[in-house]
Formats: sequence, C-alpha cells, structure tokens
Amino acid sequence: MEIDAVAKNFQRKLSVYQSLDERFEIQKEMYRGQQYSQIYFIRLHKMRSLLYSLVEKWKPDVPVCTVLGLEEGKECIIVGTLYKHMKLKPSVLDEYSKERSVAPLVKSHNFMHPDDQLVLEDESGRVKLGGTFLAPSMFVTGLVVALHGKETSAGDFLVQDILEPGLPPQMQLPCGSGEDKYVVFVSGLSVGSNTSNPLQLQLLIDHITGHLGDEKEQSIASQIVRVVVAGNSVEITLGLLNGQALASKDQSRLSEPIKELDILLTQLAAAVSLDIMPGPSDPANFSLPQQPLHRCLFPGASAYNTFVSCTNPHSFELDNVRFLGTSGQNIDDLGKYSDAEDSLDFMERTLRWRHLAPTAPNTLGCYPFTDKDPFLIESCPHVYFVGNQNKYKTRLLRGSEGQLVRLICIPKFLETGVAVVLNMRNLECHTLSFSTHLDP
Amino acid sequence: MNNGNAGKKRGPASSGSEPTTKHQAMIEEEEMDEDVFFDETLLQEEEEALRNAEEREALASHLSKWKRPLLSAAYLSQSQSIIFQQLEIDYVIGDSHKVLMPNSSGPAAILRMFGVTREGHSVCCLVHGFEPYFYISCPPGMGPDDISRFHQILESRMKEANRNSKVPKCVLRIEMVQKRSIMYYQQQKSQPFLKIVVALPTMVTSCRGILDRGIQIDGLGLKSFMTYESNVLFALRFMIDCNIVGGNWIEVPAGKYMNATRQLSYCQLEFDCLYSDIISHAPEGEFSKMAPFRILSFDIECAGRKGHFPEPSHDPVIQVANLVTLQGENQPFVRNVMTLKSCAPIVGVDVMPFDTEREVLLAWRDFIREVDPDIIIGYNICKFDLPYLIERAEALKIAEFPILGRIRNGRVRVKETTFSSRQYGTRESKEVTIEGRVQFDLLQVMQRDYKLSSYSLNSVSSHFLQEQKEDVHHSIISDLQNGNSETRRRLAVYCLKDAYLPQRLLDKLMFIYNYVEMARVTGVPISFLLSRGQSIKVLSQLLRKAKQKSLVIPNVKRQGSDQGTYEGATVLEAKAGFYEKPIATLDFASLYPSIMMAYNLCYCTLVMPEDARKLNLPPECVTKTPSGEIFVKSNLQKGILPEILEELLAARKRAKADLKEAKDPFEKAVLDGRQLALKVSANSVYGFTGATVGQLPCLEISSSVTSYGRQMIEHTKKLVEEKFTTLGGYKHNAEVIYGDTDSVMVQFGVPTVEEAMQLGREAADYISGTFIKPIKLEFEKVYYPYLLISKKRYAGLFWTNPDKFDKMDTKGIETVRRDNCLLVKNLVNECLHKILIDRDIPGAVQYVKNTISDLLMNRMDLSLLVITKGLTKTGDDYAVKAAHVELAERMRKRDAATAPDVGDRVPYVIIKAAKGAKAYERSEDPIYVLENNIPIDPQYYLENQISKPLLRIFDPILKNASKELFHGNHTRSVYISTPSNSGIMKFAKKQLSCLGCKALISNEDQTLCSHCKGREAELYCKTVANVRELEILFGSLWTQCQECQGSLHQDVLCTSRDCPIFYRRKKAQKDMAEAKLQLDRWKF
Repeated sequence: MEIDAVAKNFQRKLSVYQSLDERFEIQKEMYRGQQYSQIYFIRLHKMRSLLYSLVEKWKPDVPVCTVLGLEEGKECIIVGTLYKHMKLKPSVLDEYSKERSVAPLVKSHNFMHPDDQLVLEDESGRVKLGGTFLAPSMFVTGLVVALHGKETSAGDFLVQDILEPGLPPQMQLPCGSGEDKYVVFVSGLSVGSNTSNPLQLQLLIDHITGHLGDEKEQSIASQIVRVVVAGNSVEITLGLLNGQALASKDQSRLSEPIKELDILLTQLAAAVSLDIMPGPSDPANFSLPQQPLHRCLFPGASAYNTFVSCTNPHSFELDNVRFLGTSGQNIDDLGKYSDAEDSLDFMERTLRWRHLAPTAPNTLGCYPFTDKDPFLIESCPHVYFVGNQNKYKTRLLRGSEGQLVRLICIPKFLETGVAVVLNMRNLECHTLSFSTHLDP
Repeated sequence: MNNGNAGKKRGPASSGSEPTTKHQAMIEEEEMDEDVFFDETLLQEEEEALRNAEEREALASHLSKWKRPLLSAAYLSQSQSIIFQQLEIDYVIGDSHKVLMPNSSGPAAILRMFGVTREGHSVCCLVHGFEPYFYISCPPGMGPDDISRFHQILESRMKEANRNSKVPKCVLRIEMVQKRSIMYYQQQKSQPFLKIVVALPTMVTSCRGILDRGIQIDGLGLKSFMTYESNVLFALRFMIDCNIVGGNWIEVPAGKYMNATRQLSYCQLEFDCLYSDIISHAPEGEFSKMAPFRILSFDIECAGRKGHFPEPSHDPVIQVANLVTLQGENQPFVRNVMTLKSCAPIVGVDVMPFDTEREVLLAWRDFIREVDPDIIIGYNICKFDLPYLIERAEALKIAEFPILGRIRNGRVRVKETTFSSRQYGTRESKEVTIEGRVQFDLLQVMQRDYKLSSYSLNSVSSHFLQEQKEDVHHSIISDLQNGNSETRRRLAVYCLKDAYLPQRLLDKLMFIYNYVEMARVTGVPISFLLSRGQSIKVLSQLLRKAKQKSLVIPNVKRQGSDQGTYEGATVLEAKAGFYEKPIATLDFASLYPSIMMAYNLCYCTLVMPEDARKLNLPPECVTKTPSGEIFVKSNLQKGILPEILEELLAARKRAKADLKEAKDPFEKAVLDGRQLALKVSANSVYGFTGATVGQLPCLEISSSVTSYGRQMIEHTKKLVEEKFTTLGGYKHNAEVIYGDTDSVMVQFGVPTVEEAMQLGREAADYISGTFIKPIKLEFEKVYYPYLLISKKRYAGLFWTNPDKFDKMDTKGIETVRRDNCLLVKNLVNECLHKILIDRDIPGAVQYVKNTISDLLMNRMDLSLLVITKGLTKTGDDYAVKAAHVELAERMRKRDAATAPDVGDRVPYVIIKAAKGAKAYERSEDPIYVLENNIPIDPQYYLENQISKPLLRIFDPILKNASKELFHGNHTRSVYISTPSNSGIMKFAKKQLSCLGCKALISNEDQTLCSHCKGREAELYCKTVANVRELEILFGSLWTQCQECQGSLHQDVLCTSRDCPIFYRRKKAQKDMAEAKLQLDRWKF
C-alpha cells in the first residue's frame, strides 16, 4: 500500500468478516402466483410459539385462547397479528375514485388519524380491540403480540395488557483484544443528484483511505476495518427509465452517476473492505429484501475482493460482533403509519417486536415468501443501524437479559456531510463531519 | 346527491332530446283491487312435531332473546290509547264484526293497518265499517223513487255478475249527493251525483263495467253512465277519506277499540275498531318522528352446480345471513347466520348451524316470526332471494315454510308482474306478498333513483360507500360449502357482508327518511312508492284536494297511445364553442309548477271550446294560452292543481326553513327528506297531465305549460339582448349562447366572475318583473370557463361565489355510459380537468397523445379497456349477433363452470383478428387475453371508443382536432404482442435474444450480444427499473385485495370483475413473474 513516502507507514488493521445475508437472498425464488397470506401465516406461527412460551412466565393463570374461542366476559390471552384500520391510508383504489377532487391531494408524511382502529387477527378470525390501553398510534399492521383482556358485549376485545416478544437473546459480546477497531457507516451519498458535492465526498474517501490529515489522523484511519454504505448511493433522475428507447444523451445521463460512484468505490475498495447495500433510490429491485447491486454496475470496484455487494437488510459478523442494518425503508415506513419520539424509538420497537419490518408486506413492498419470514430477528445484534435518516442519532440499548445494542441512525451524507464511526471495542460512536464551506 | 328524481327533470319533457318532442304514451299498469278472502281454517302446526322437540326448544330459546319488548299493564288492560306509526295498509274480506257492526252481516272488507308504537310494539289494527263506493252523475229528473228502482235493477245485474259471492246484498245503498266534476270550467256550483256504495271492493269494478256498458232503465231506455272515482284502490280510498297519509301516526283512543277474541296475527297488539273512531295525526311536531321499527336485512347463499346459475328446483340454500336494526340506531342488534352443516364461530355473530336444509329454512321462518321485522330489505331480494326461498321450500315440500307474514295462516303469495312506466322503463319482476311487512329492495330503489353504469352490489357500494366488496364466484361457493367448518365460515363472513351492505346503503342514503316523507307528502302507502309509478302519487293528492272541494274525478276511458302528442320544451340553438369569459346562467325556479300557478291551469279552469262562446266570458277573466287553449282566471274559479302546487311549494319552503333551524340529526334527516319529496312531487304534477294513458290526462294543460315555457325562454333571450347593450349603457353587448328547458346562458362580455354575477342578478330581477307571479327567473351560477359542445352537452366550472369555483359540471358528455370502457371516461375527465381547471389546452392535447401512444404500444392497463354488457338471453334468442353473447358461447365451450350465465354481466375486450372479421367475433375474455398474450385491437378503441367523445370536446377548441389528435408522431410506433396460443406459435422455436438489441444469441449463459456488452450497466438499470415498478404495483394491488377481504392470513379468492383492479392484479402477477425471469438472466 503506497501512502506518503515521507510519513510513517501504517498497517490497516484486519478483522474477521462473516456475511449472514443468506436469509435475505431470494435466489431461485419465483413468482408462481403465491400471495402474501403465507408470509403472515409463517410470521404468526413462529411468533406465536415464542409468545406462548413467554406467556407462561407473564401470566401463568390466565387461559390462552384463539380469537374464535373468545367468550363474552371471560378473561383470557389471545395471540395474533395486529391490523390497524386507517382512514387516511392511501389505497391503489383512490385512482379510481369517482369524483376527482378539485384540490390536489395533500401528500402527508404521516397517515395517522385519531379514528384509527386496531384489530387482532389469527387464522380463525378477527376481533376489534377496544379500551384505551393500546394506543393505535404506537402499533402497526403486521405485528404479532399477545393480549390480555376480555370480550365485551359489543363483540370487542377489551385490552388490559399487552405482551411483546421483547429483545431476542444475544450472543456474548466478545472481549476482543482491547484494541480500537472502527467501522464507518455512511448512507445517502446520492451521487448524480443536482445538489451533489463531489469535494465533500472525496474528503470522506481521502480521510478513510488515509490520504488526509496528520499522522494521528492517519493512524486512526488505519484502524478503520470496514466501511458500510447503507443505501441511496446514486440518484438517477426519475422518469428517464419510463420511456422505451433511450436517446444516446439520456443513456449517458443514466450511466454517468453510476460510473462516478464506481470510481469513488474503487478508491475505497483499494484501501479498505467495503459493504455496499442497495437503497430505495439505487438501481436495484424495490421490494424488501433488496438484492445486491449488480457487479456489472461497478466494473472497477468489483475487481477488488474487498468489495462486497450485499442485500438490504444486511447482516454480518465482524470479529464476532454482530451487525444488522437496513437502508432505512423499514423505519421510514413505521414513521408513516405510527408515531414515536424519534427514529431510535422505532428501531428499539422493531427489536422488541423481534421483527425488522412488520409493515411488510402491508405498506412496505416485500417479496411474497412462502416458507419463511426473513425479517424475524432471532438473535439480537450488537450493532443495529439504519441508513438515510434525517439526523445522526445513537443510543445504547440495554435489554432485560443483559443484551446490549448500539442503535445508530445514519444521516444522509449528501445533506449533512456526516459519516458515523463505531468503535468495535466499546461500541462507542462518533461522527465524521465534512464540510466544504469556508466560513466557520 | 345526484338523484334522478330530484334533478331538474320534469316528467315526460326531460327525456326528449329534440326541441319539440313528440310525446309518447306513458304506460302505467292499471291499479286494480284484488280481494283476498280470509281463510278461517288455521293451519295445523302438526308438521312441527316432526322436528325434534329438544332441538326446537333450543332454537326457540335462542330466538326468544330477540323478541319485541313486553306489553305494559296499561296496554294489557286496554286502558290506554294506542298510538302507532302505520307502515302498511291492506284489506281482507271477512265476516263483519258482530259487536262493532251490529246492523250488517255477511262478508265485508276489513282494513288492516300494520305499524309500530313508540315503545316498539307491533300493531295490527283491524278497521271495520268502511265501505267501497264510487259516483255516477245523476241523470236529470231522477227522483227518490227512480233511485230505488235504479237500485233494484243494478242489484239484480250485480247478482248476475257476482253469482259466486256469498254477499246478501251487492249494492248497499245509493245516495244522492251534490258534487261537481273536476273536468272543465262550469258555472253552476254543483249538480246531483249518485254515490253507489257496494259490499266488496272488487264489486266497484264489476259495477263500473255494468254501468259502462249501459243499463236498461224504465223511461230512459238503455243508458250508459260515466263513473267517477271508480278506479281508486280501496286502501287508498280509506286513507283519503280518513285523512291518513303514508307512514303517519294513528291514534285509537282507549275504549274505542276491542282486543280480538282470537288473535289472527302475530302482532303484539291486535284490535278491532270503527273507521270513524280513528284519529289520524298530521306528521308535525312529535308526530313527525319515526317509530323504532325493525329493519331486517338478509342475504342467502345457494350452492349452484358447476356451470349453472342456481335453480330452486335443484340447488340448496346453504346459508342465510340476517341483520336486524332498529330504526334510528346505527348498529344492528341482531347479527346471525344460519348455515347448512357446521360452521366455525364468528366474533359478534350468532352462528346457527343445522344439519338439513329443511331446518335452515324453518329456522329462518321462526326467526322472522320471532324478530317480527316491519321492513325487510336486501339486495335483489324481490327478484331473487325471496322467490328462491319460497320455490325452494316448495321443491322440498315444506308446506309450512311460506308463512312469513304477520297473519297466522297467511301464506306468502308469489306473482309474476311486469311493471312499466315511462320514467322507469319496463321491468319484469316477481312480486312476493308478505302480509304486514314492507319489502324494500335496494336494487329496485337504486335502479329507480340513480343512474349508474352498473347496479351490482359491488359497484353500487363502491360508488356510495367507497368500498370494494369481495365477490366470490358462484362456482367457488359450492367448494367452500363442501369443505370444512372453516371454509363454510369463510362463506358465512361473505354472506354477512352482503347482508350488511344494503343496511349501510339504506343508512347512508337516508332511504327510510326520504321514502317515508314521500309517502307522507303524497299520501300513498310506502309500498306504493316502490311498486307503482309516479301517477298514483299525483292522483292521491288530487283526490284529497277534490274531496275538500266537493269535486269528483271522472274515470276516463283509456285512450290509445297514438293520439295526443304535443310540442315539448324548447331548446335555444347552442352556439358551440369554448367560452373563456364568464357565462351567467339564469334559471326559472320550478318553471312548470310556476306556470301552472301563474296562469291558473287546471282541469277545472279549462274552458271547453264550445263553451267559450256559449258562456260568454268576459275577456279579462280568461287567459288564452300560446297553444290556443282557454282557461279562466282565478277570480272566477281557482284551480285545484295550482292549489296543490302552492301548498307543496309552501310546505317545501317551510321544510327548508325548519331544516335550517333544526339541531337534531334525525329531525334534519326527516326535513331534508321532506323538502326533497315535495320538490319531486311538485314537478311530477305536470307529467301527470301529460300522461296520455294515465289516470286523468289533459293534454290541453300540458301543451299549454310547455308552450308558455317556450315563450318565456324566447322572451328572456329577447329582453337580455335588448337591454344589456352598449347602447343601454353597459360595457358590452350581452349574448344568449344557449337556452335549455328552464335556463338561459348569457355571456355578458365581462371578464370577471364577480361582474358577471352582478349583471346576472340584475337581469334576473329585471326580467322576473315582467312575468306573472310566481314565475321567477333566478340567477344561480356562473360557468367560467364554459365549453359548449351542442345542445344538452356542455362542461364548465361552476361558480356560486366569486372567490372559488364549486365544482366541475358536465352534462351529456360520456362519463357514465356503460357500454364504454373505462378508458373513455378517464380520458374525457382528465381532458376536461386539464382544459377547464388547469386551463392547459396543450397539456390536454399532449395527454391525449400520450394515451393514444400507450394504447398503440400495448402499455395500457387492460382493465381500462374492458367493455361490459349484461347477458339477458342465451345466444339463440338474440336476433343480431352481439359481441358479448358470442363470447359467452365461446367461453362455455372452453369451461362451462366459469362461463357467464344469463343474468351475469360479460366483460370483454376487442382483440386483433384476421382482416374482415366482424366486431362480434373479435371479443375476448380479458383473463384469456392476459394469459395468452393476445394483442388487443388499438384501432378499434381509437375509432369506436375514444374518437367521438374526444372530438366532441376538442372540436370547439382546436382547428383540425381530428388531425391534431389522431395523426402524427405519437401514432407511428406500434407494439403488438405475440399470442402464445396461436397456431403458428406451435411450430416456432424459442430462442434467447440480446436484451439490448434483440439480436439472437446462441450461448444461453449470456444476456447481451457482444455489441451491447458495453451498455451493460445501462441495460441492467432498465431491466431492474422495470422490475421495480412491477414490484410496487404487485405489492399495492395484492395488499389492497387483502384489505377488502378483511383477512391477512387467508388467500384472496375474490373474482369480482367489477373491481377496477381485478385485471391489473392478475396482470401484475403475470408480468412480475416474467420480469423476474428476465432479471435472473443477469447472472450475478
């Protein structure tokens, strides 16, 4: 590795990497006319056996029954999939609505309404959830929970208590060698965007590759063992792909940002191991799990074996520290259909629900799996990251059984110039900010 | 609410499109009384013993919790007056009551009023002593002796005609009364009439026949008589004479009624009383409210055999879902479903499984008896569900089933009827009479009150409730039934939903309020409103008014439909164009009613031509109408029709004022229903006079009305164009660009809406001043911009205040015609939106071009191209080959189970076929088209579907619209898919081609040819973008279907072809699979 000849040579630290993406790969799965009911079925099945085992500890005296077995006035516990009936939820049928309203539809960020209503469903049927114990704004469709309550005379189920699965069990965090090793997270590079700032991005790359700063900084850079690009790396002008034949000038506009990204990634891959995840704006499929970006898009970078194109969600182990993350769609969708203080709360909820993306397939596009629900979180990660958020935020979450999880919201780099650095030794986090503005 | 009745429709005149419509006859079924004899032998209930006693008990206790509230002691001791809201009135023939009618004997007509008290008790009130009668004019010089002789002669003739009758005396009395005929102006106030009272209602008709044909009277020879009021139904006669209107409150004071010795009905309160003791309360104040009557909404499911529509002789009834709601409550208090074989429980619903169909049917009968609904609603119950149940019970030989009415031994009667009316068209239907219960079939109501492109429950509920309904094909129903208790539960849920939707429609559209108010306003029983035409409503009001004035209405012999046509409404020549200046619209408020009031047009003010000279009327006392008729003015004789109209309009004004004051939502609903009913009634009076085969046609009146209407439109046009000129001190010359039946469109030339409104108001006031009251020209709205296509076809933005437009208003432009595909509607709407609201004509043109290009390039969503037609007969019965019939035949050959049957709607698309193939040969099932990649025929859609409506819109706007829109660059590239099932494809060999340039590639592992290798990234992006879009679509479509279905864990079964996303969903699934395959060719 050729760095500055005058300066001291730093050896980049190494770490053991193991990809756990296999469950997110669609591979030979086909669309054979299957529907979404199967994934809900599997989800309910898996989560129910889990919840049943928890219920024994939670409320051992209360009988457990199915929605069908409910009897008026009898207290019991039911387990099922939540369904939130939402007034404002956009529907594909809206296109066909009779009276085209004169005022354009107001596109809101959030589709909640005070009248939203929760319903619990299992294979046998549905029951309306009543009472004030559950705030509909907290929950979303697709979630599996256990509820304690009783059926009222109106046929509703009056909820008195709720049991969520809680944080999944976690592997012991390795003690490690006590040395600092860093992982850099970045998302929303948006190469090719109108507001893109090539210099800012180049600064980031130069910093990671050790081309910037003094020896101290270079020594820190050498401790970066991996870079994770969490989605939205390019921005392709929408509408270009809708037409049929592309004019040659459009062809270049289409491939230009990708070529540029390849150049940047090549620089990175030459210096450090690199994971790239697809995001909502990348040239990848739309439904979760998004499949790896095709190698043919990156003729330069893909020549290095340090370059790993991976799925979204992405899961891996680095020196036995377990990482799990997405490019942000799961959290953004929760933000549209439920309410929380900040994105970290949403992240925490998904962990407690042991489900990465409960709103898939209802409002979040998803492949119609028939035999598995890849979004179930069976083992608690040590680091849980989500890309393309508005602000950098982090928190250390402690579970009731001693689980320790670092939650990270990775901001959009294009808008904030911020990359996140995680120290694997103590799971501590800090940011790298790059600015090309001269004023202080 | 776009109510067909409530709109500006005026009887016959509205349906003509020509300026001078030749009016055809209005055919309405003759109203006839039909005597029902009371069957004294109560049905033995011994068959009941066949059923297991224990089970019966269980069922009885199950049902008993839905019983009506128990009677209070005051009711039981008969110490309380009974006040109830009556819903249904009919009569039976029974022995006259020995206590109440001590002086008569033998059979007599007993009227029955069914209703509900304020506490929710059901009431059957038996009214005695009211006798059927009619009038004839008394021949001059007939004295009391002559009358008794006449009585004897008539009695003997009647005896001959009614030989089978057990009545001791047919003609009870003949009285001389002073009355006057309503027809023609007469100077003498009254003349003698004979009131002939007969024993039974049907004898009115036979007696009329005898008198019509002529009767031999000593000294007078053979004389035939004109009869008066001999065509009034007995129940209506009773209501008129007792001042009872449909759905009002009746009081029978304590002591004036006696409880029946032996209950003949299932009602809680059954009693006899005299008709003279009845107090009828006007629907005001406390008595304008509604009693808590019970509304049953139900739906049945039958297990059809493969390929057949269910027939009662073969196919069992497998489920009946019931919901019972109390009027005024928003949730049903009974929800249950009766199923054949076991069914898994449903939350909040009583599931009642039975082992045999017989038990299901009998349980339903018991349920009806126990719950005792006052109104039975459902969707298509009159034509399907009810007759099916009855015929099924017949097939199973369950004799005791069809006792569903309130009379203990009264079996329901099924009668095939055809109902035809000018306004509603001809409909065949089965009439099932369930005594004492009102049937309210939502399908009939929809067809009557709304003009929709489809009347399936699915499309009606998506129209009014904005909800898609899951539709399970009847071939799947049998499979679900033959599964396990879970699949039957699935079916039950579906069945319940079908029972619930009619109730929701009823609530949403306030039908109960509107129909009860209509009954109250017009004075006819509620059941008449659905089963009979418009004219009975006017006749009822006319009879009531005539009675007050001692007038009698002649029973005019029916005239042929060929005679009596007159000139209809006028339409001023439309100056077609796109107006970008505000157009003010001046409307005559209730034009025809006002004309009748202003000029005192009535039967009784019409002067016969020969009388005109004879009577020597002073010219200042008569009006000669533009059509040449002479009517006297109101100082000589006030007309009855104007009086009725004045009362209706005054009542409407009052109702509207009260509506503003009202706070209580139920009261509001009542008042709104009332003002609507009043408006519709006022407008139907004119139509009544023009109905040539109606009850009392009088073309002199109707032609005078339209002639005045024409004159007024012309007059308005003249005045506007004379007054609003630059010479008159106005900025611009006003121009009348169009005038319809009762409105005139004026372009004042001013640029702003506000100024146009100003001038519009000024013009309305000025011109109103020149008319006789109450004719009034009103300024209501401004159109800006305004696209006038031709007469009765226009579109514009509708402004009632100068700040913001209210809506886009279109008339006569293809948006609802059902034989058009959805594409036409979308295209027209979108274009109008762009032209009128966005004011972006180039944008609209571009939109059309893009759509045409999409169509040619096969990028169109197939559901937009589907055309639907109802299959009313089988192929052989159609004289001309029709596309949908041919297709149904072809589909039957492919698979008889899923092929459409008679009664189904057949959806199809037009496909490309060999040159010269007839249009009907080119129809194809959309699903088949999707599955086999069959190319559609874009040319057909261009020429036969979208071109005409589009040119209509664009012709006034663009020069060379046709050239501009349908020719040019956007029509040059065409894509035709290769059908996968055509003959030639069997011999074709499939080869992979380069995804970039379609060159063939030999090596299967490659995706691209060597030339395209360099564009790899770009081409990959294209493929993946395609996948993206399909994934988005796939996700949103299939989750929507889960939503409608109301379950996440079960597969979507729905095959509702009415659903707009049905084909898209299917196509998305297929396209997705293909796109995924293509993506997989890019090996990682």
